[in-house]
Amino acid sequence: MNQDSMLSQAQAMSNLYEPAPLHTVMRSEIDSSLRLPLLLLVRTSTFWLVMGSFLALLSAVKLVIPSFLDGISLFTYGRIFPVACDLLVYGWATPAGLAISLWFMARLCGTRLHYTKVLVSAALLWNAGIFLSSLALLCGYSTSVELLEYPAWGSFLLFIAFLLMGIWVILLFATRQPRSLYLSQWYFLTAICSFPWAYATANMLLVWGHIQGSAQGPIHFWYISNLFGLWITPLALGMAFYLIPKITGASINSYYLGIVGFFSLLLFAAWSGMTFLLGGPVPAWMVSASIVATTLLALPMAALLVNFFKMLQGKETMLVKSPVLRFTYVGILFFIISMVLVMIHAIPCFNAILHFTDYTAGLLVSLLIGFFGMTLFGALYYIMPRLTGVAWFSTQLILRHFWMITVGVGLMVFSSLLGGMVEGIALNDPVIAFINVLSYAAPWRWLMVIAWLLIFLGSISFIRLLILMRWQMIEESIPLVSCSTASNS
Amino acid sequence: MNRLSSLFLSVAFLFLSAWLGFVVYSYLELGRMKPLEGSDGVLPPQLSGQAILGARVYAANGCVTCHSQQVRQTSVTHSDIERNWGKRPSVARDYLRDQTAFLGMMRIGPDLSNVGVRLSNPRWHYQHLYEPATVVAGSTMPSYRYLFRLQKIQGQPSAEAISLVGNHAPQEGYEVVPTQEAKNLVAYLLSLQHDYTLPEVSPENASTH
Repeated sequence: MNQDSMLSQAQAMSNLYEPAPLHTVMRSEIDSSLRLPLLLLVRTSTFWLVMGSFLALLSAVKLVIPSFLDGISLFTYGRIFPVACDLLVYGWATPAGLAISLWFMARLCGTRLHYTKVLVSAALLWNAGIFLSSLALLCGYSTSVELLEYPAWGSFLLFIAFLLMGIWVILLFATRQPRSLYLSQWYFLTAICSFPWAYATANMLLVWGHIQGSAQGPIHFWYISNLFGLWITPLALGMAFYLIPKITGASINSYYLGIVGFFSLLLFAAWSGMTFLLGGPVPAWMVSASIVATTLLALPMAALLVNFFKMLQGKETMLVKSPVLRFTYVGILFFIISMVLVMIHAIPCFNAILHFTDYTAGLLVSLLIGFFGMTLFGALYYIMPRLTGVAWFSTQLILRHFWMITVGVGLMVFSSLLGGMVEGIALNDPVIAFINVLSYAAPWRWLMVIAWLLIFLGSISFIRLLILMRWQMIEESIPLVSCSTASNS
Repeated sequence: MNRLSSLFLSVAFLFLSAWLGFVVYSYLELGRMKPLEGSDGVLPPQLSGQAILGARVYAANGCVTCHSQQVRQTSVTHSDIERNWGKRPSVARDYLRDQTAFLGMMRIGPDLSNVGVRLSNPRWHYQHLYEPATVVAGSTMPSYRYLFRLQKIQGQPSAEAISLVGNHAPQEGYEVVPTQEAKNLVAYLLSLQHDYTLPEVSPENASTH
């Protein structure tokens, strides 16, 4: 297998750029202390990715063939679509991103994890929360606040579980050995601190308690912009800033630009949410502030891209050799696309047409699966062999995974962009009856079915890789918990 | 102050600036908004108990996934008003009575802010919820027949029974009646009437806020 040897070669090359041989013993100790909780988080989150993309596929089909599984309360569109979204955000992206930040943080800080059992219990609690809340949604206990649909007890369970998991990222940082501070650590810490704050605020005002309806809109969309801008995005950027220098061997080109990118992203992303209520029942100054902030997101985008592409300069051939790098850079490509889509959406004359159409769906998929997902997969391809001591089973499956997701998300962006424009122009022309707008949207929604099918099949390839890796671990009898960890925890 | 704590303070400051601006401001200002006492009663009007229960059915079935409840300002687009989705743009006070404001992000179906004005016949809604395509040809809305009950006709047919023909008609001697959930949902839909005039917005000066 020529490709297999190429893969191992690429992995060997990336090994060259690990910090220093001095830490070799400690690195294996760090890895074994993290093995059980991280494998648990990675495997369960990948399972939810498969379930989430399957339900998204199902709801995409129901949109074009309404008679499919019709009239059954459990499978009605308004129930399975939110379940799919929540599974992708809270079942998959959140715990997977947390697992990666734990591993990177431990490596960068040179510290091992203590009290593994707390983390494992919290991960189990999180997954129990996801499972029970999804069932509750299907049975009709939804709050119908988008991306906060889980019933009060469910989101409270998730909040507690998150605190018990996220605290380890901070504790690892607090006990770090090298006192230097890396850019990826900034991103991880910001993400870990802002998510629980935003989640608790939004739940307290919209789910656990109910603030007067007149105030709910701004709070809700503030939360959604925080979820994507200050949780999902910094996680993926933190991963990219760790992986790219590691694999290309280039150092971060401009530290100054890194700082500018970091702070401006933070500020503008935090203020960006109200473009989703443009023309809606919110104070005009809020919308204006968000339009300005979203447009200015161009600044962090440019600052980040200069660094990302300078680090690749002269090493483009490594994109072919290293799957980690390829996934990461496709992730960055979708980052550019998502940012451009967000900025177009913020301009009032375009927003009037594009908002309330499939355009928003494409935007979220591009950001969540294209940008975050691809970077996450890149990180997992890097981490998992080191964590388990087993190489990836098949480059063929990695390639299939790569192309399925890339083409799937690409098709989703393409069809939602063009479909959204067609729908929006039709919606803005009152001469066209609403029922006829649906026929304009239909061909594009068929393309979205194909896009979701590809994303689903891509996720299947990835979970197959994880299962093959598990078998290999059993065959080589690699323990999930090393003796030293067990005695310490 | 060392480099690390100044970093954390600046991160916290940037994050909290938006939190103060969007969340705390909304909490203090919009959250304390009061209904208005006009000559023609309190605005926005109180919801009936049945409509409040109906809003929960609306939430349980995820209607907000496809239906928005906001008429946009004319400074952004005229189409919402031209489509007869409302006479005036929605304002924050319209949502005063709602436990959850179903603003929505998608319009796979039409806006429902004023569906009670547009379609005021409950029988239309029952029929539509039971089998949307029989009422609106080409509709992609799912059927909510699980909110209805098939029952044997005892004596006189029930006055609540919905009239069904063709494939959807129940077998001889049976009738389809709405459950309490369907009745609550329809009561809620009929209560969606934001056609009253508030001082901050009126049909004449629709673009002001």
